Amino acid sequence: MSLRARQKIRAPRRGLNTNKTDDFETNWEGLSTSLKKIHTKDASNLSFEQLYRNAYNIVLMMRGDELYERVKKLEQEWLDTEVQKRVTAAISSILLQAKDQAEIQDQENERRDTGEKFLNVLREAWEDHQISMGMITDVLMYMDRVVSADHKKPSIYVASMALFRDFVLRSAVRADAESMVADVLKSTVLFMIQLERSGQMINRPLIRHCIYMLEGLYETITEEESSKLYLTMFEPAFIETSKVFYRAEGRRLLETGDAATFCKAASDRIAEEGARCLSTLSPLSEPKIKDVLDKELIGSNIAEVINLEGTGVKNMLDNDRMDVLRNVYVLSARVDSKKIPLTAAVQKRIVEMGDEINKSAAAAAQAQPTKSAEKTAEGGKKPAEKPVNQQTVSAIKWVDDVLGLKTKFDKIWEESFRSDPTMQSAITTSFSEFINSNTRSSEYLSLFFDENLKKGIKGKTETEVDALLDNGITLLRYVKDKDLFEAYYKKHLSRRLLMKRSVSMDAERQMISKMKMEVGNQFTQRLESMFKDMTVSEDLTASYKEHIRGAGDPDQKPVDLEINVLTSTMWPMEAMSSIKGDEVQLPCIFPKEIDHLRQSFEQFYLSKHNGRKLSWQASMGTADIRATFHRSNGKVQRHELNVSTYAMVILLLFNDVPQGEPLTYEEIQARTRIPDHDLIRNLQSLAVAPKTRVLKKDPMSKDVKPADRFVFNNDFQSPFMKVRIGVVSGSANKVENQDQRKETEKRMNDERGASIEAAVVRIMKQRKTLVHSKLMSEVLSQLSARFVPDVNMIKRRIESLIDREYLERVGEDPPTYGYVA
Amino acid sequence: MASSATDSEFVTLVSGDGFEFVLPRSAACVSGTIRRMLEPSSKFAEALTGRCILENISGIVLEKVCEYFCYNEKNKNQSNVPDMEIPPELCLELLMAADYLDT
Repeated sequence: MSLRARQKIRAPRRGLNTNKTDDFETNWEGLSTSLKKIHTKDASNLSFEQLYRNAYNIVLMMRGDELYERVKKLEQEWLDTEVQKRVTAAISSILLQAKDQAEIQDQENERRDTGEKFLNVLREAWEDHQISMGMITDVLMYMDRVVSADHKKPSIYVASMALFRDFVLRSAVRADAESMVADVLKSTVLFMIQLERSGQMINRPLIRHCIYMLEGLYETITEEESSKLYLTMFEPAFIETSKVFYRAEGRRLLETGDAATFCKAASDRIAEEGARCLSTLSPLSEPKIKDVLDKELIGSNIAEVINLEGTGVKNMLDNDRMDVLRNVYVLSARVDSKKIPLTAAVQKRIVEMGDEINKSAAAAAQAQPTKSAEKTAEGGKKPAEKPVNQQTVSAIKWVDDVLGLKTKFDKIWEESFRSDPTMQSAITTSFSEFINSNTRSSEYLSLFFDENLKKGIKGKTETEVDALLDNGITLLRYVKDKDLFEAYYKKHLSRRLLMKRSVSMDAERQMISKMKMEVGNQFTQRLESMFKDMTVSEDLTASYKEHIRGAGDPDQKPVDLEINVLTSTMWPMEAMSSIKGDEVQLPCIFPKEIDHLRQSFEQFYLSKHNGRKLSWQASMGTADIRATFHRSNGKVQRHELNVSTYAMVILLLFNDVPQGEPLTYEEIQARTRIPDHDLIRNLQSLAVAPKTRVLKKDPMSKDVKPADRFVFNNDFQSPFMKVRIGVVSGSANKVENQDQRKETEKRMNDERGASIEAAVVRIMKQRKTLVHSKLMSEVLSQLSARFVPDVNMIKRRIESLIDREYLERVGEDPPTYGYVA
Repeated sequence: MASSATDSEFVTLVSGDGFEFVLPRSAACVSGTIRRMLEPSSKFAEALTGRCILENISGIVLEKVCEYFCYNEKNKNQSNVPDMEIPPELCLELLMAADYLDT
C-alpha cells in the first residue's frame, strides 16, 4: 500500500515555475521597480501575485539573504534621497533658531505656522512610509518567513522602520547644522505645547500623529517597550520643560496671593495636563507629568497656600468655602497622603475657635459672681422661677457653641474632605484638645444634659430628642475625664430624680443606654442602680401605705408619706449629706407628727430588710402643707403650700407658738437643728422673697442674721390656691462655685486614687511580678477609658501600696514589683 | 466595478493553466497570501479586481486547495470533524501550495 502510494506521488516541480525562474537578477529587476512604484503610490496595476512569486522564487533559489539586503538598501536610498529631502525642505530657518522660550510675539505666529507645516510634512512622510512598508512587507512575506526566522533578523518592516529613524529623523537638517530633524520635531512640539499652556489653540491631532510616530519607533530592533523613541527622546525634554514651566507658574500664582485662585488654577492645570496626555501626547506620560505637577506646582507651594494670610485655609474655614476647601484637600491629598500642612492648619483653626469658645464661657463665668451677688443682694427675687443663672447659661452656651463648631467641621469634613479618615482623626484630636483644655467641660456637658432633660426636650419629637442626646454624646466622646463627667451627671441626675424635674423618664433611660454604648457598662452601672432605687422606692411607698391602712392605726392627722430609699454608695451622697467637714451635724429634729411617721416607717422598713440603716435626708425632700391665715379683718384664708422639708419643719414650729409671737433665728435653730446653711436659705425664701412671704422678719432686710426674729404672716396674699415656695438656689443644678469645685476635685482625686490602686492590684495579682514601666503603661491603658491618670499619682499609689504591704520591691534595676498575696 | 470588487462577497481564484474557481472571500482568506493579496488598503491589482491569478498552481491542485478552504470554513470551531480526503499523488504538490499560500 505504502509502496504504491509512493509511486503515485508526482514530482512537485513541474514546468510551471521552473521556466520562469530565470535568474536572480531578472527577478530582482522586476521586484525593485515595483517596490519603487509602491513608494510612489502607483501600485494599482501591479499584480501582488507576480511580486510575491518573484520574491518566492528568489527565496527558493536560496538567495533570500541577498534579497533582504537589497531591499534594505533600496529603502535606505529611497529614504535618504526622496523623503529626507522633502522633510528638510519643510524646515524653515525660524524653526532652527533660538529654542529659548522668550520669543517675540510676532515671531510666534510665524514659528507656529511653519512648525505646523513641518509637522504636516513629517507626518505625511511617516504615514506614507508606513503604508508602503506595509505593502512591501506583505509582498515579501515569504522572504520574511524564511529569512528572518532562519537568520534571526528583524522582519523587513522593522528594519525599514529603523531605517526611517536613522535616515529621516536622525539626518542633519542642513549640511552645516548639527541639529537633527528629530531635534526640530521635539522643539516644535514643545513650542506648540507651550502655546497651548498659555491659552492658545493648537492643532492637537497633528501633534498626536507625530507622537504616534515617535511611539511607533524604537531605539533597538528588538522593540522593547522602554526603548520607544517617544520615551527616550521626547519625554525627558517634555518633562523638563514642564518642570520649568510649573515652577514659574507656582511662583506666579503665589504672588497673586489668593489661595482660592491658586487651588482653582492648580486643579485646572491638572485636568488640562491629563487631557493633553490623552489627546495630544501619549497616555504613557500622564503619570509622569502629574508627578511634575504634584512636585513643582503643588508640593512646593501647598504649605504656603494653606497658610496664606487672609485667603488661606483659615479664611476658607471661617467662611465655609466648601468648594475651595475641597480643592485644597484634593491637591494636598495628591502630594502627601498625610496632608500635614492642611491638617495642621485645620487643627490650629479648630483649637483657636475652641479656645475662643472656652474663653467666652470663662468670661461669662467671670461676669457671673458680681451678678449673683447682686441677685442675693436683691433678696433672691424670683429664685424659683429663675433657676438657671448666668453661669449655667454660659455652660449651656458653651456646649451649644462646641456642638455648632462640631457640626460645622463635620459638614466640611464630609463635603470638602471626602470623609477622609486622616482628616477625621485630626479633627477629633483638636476637638478633644480644646475641650479638655477647658477644665469644666465635663461639668458643662452634664449641665447641658440636665437642662435638656429638664425642659429642653419638652414638645420635641422623639427623633429630635434622639439627635440632641446624640450630639451631647459626641462631645462626651472627646472628654477625657469621663469619671468627672460621671460624678457631675450623677449629681445632676439625683436632683432630677428626687425633685421629679425630669420631663421624660424615657429620655432619661435613652440617655443612659446611649452612654452605655459609648463608654461602657461599668460607667452606667451606678446610674442605672439609681433608677432602680427609684422604682423600688415607689413600690415601697405603696406597700407602706398598704401596711398603715392594714394596721388600722387611727392616726388623727394622717400624713401622706412618699419615700425614696437610696443606696448610699450609688448616689452622690455628698450632694445631700449632712456632714460638713469634720464636724458631725446632729440630725434635724422633726416635729412630733412627722417624727411619729418617721418611726413608723423605720419600723416598717427594718422589719422587711433586717440590718439596714436608714439615715434621713431632709434637705432633699418637699412637703405639701395646708396653712390657714387669719386675716386681720377677720377673714380666714387657706393656701396649700408646697415647701421644702426644712421649711415645713420651720413652719410647723409656728403651730406651737401663740398667735403673733415671734421666734428668733437662734430659737428656730435650737429647736430644729437645721444646719445653718440650709436654715438661712429656707428662711430667706419664707421671709424675704416677696411673693412667698409666709413669715415676717424683723428687721426687714435681705440677709438673715442670728438675731433676726420671725413672725407668722397672717396677711400673706397670693392669687393662687396652691403656692410653691422654692428654696433660694441650691435646688437647681448649676455651675459650682470655686469652693464646691475644689471639693469636687478633691473627691475626684480620692476616687481616682482608689481606682488606680484597684487597677494596680488587679494587674499585679494577675502578673505576680512586673517591671515598673510596664505596670505604668498597663494601668494607664486600663484607666484611660475613664480618665487620664496623673503619672505622679500612680507612683504615689504604688508607694502607698508598698507601705501597706500589698506590693513589694523585687528588683532595683529595672525597678520591679512583686505581688504580696 | 472596482469598488464592487473590493467589497464583493466572492473572489475568483485562477490557476496557472486557466481554471477559475469562485468562492467566498472569507473562505479564501484562510490563506495568508491570498488575504494580503486582497487587502483593500494595499490597492494591488488583485485587490481591485477581486481576481487572483496563481501562476504556479495547477488547476487540479487549486481545486483541492479550494475544497480545503470550504472544508475549513464549514468545520470551523468544531470538534470530531471527518478527515478530508487527500489523494496521495497530490500530497507533495499540495504541501508546496500550502507553503506558498501560507495556509
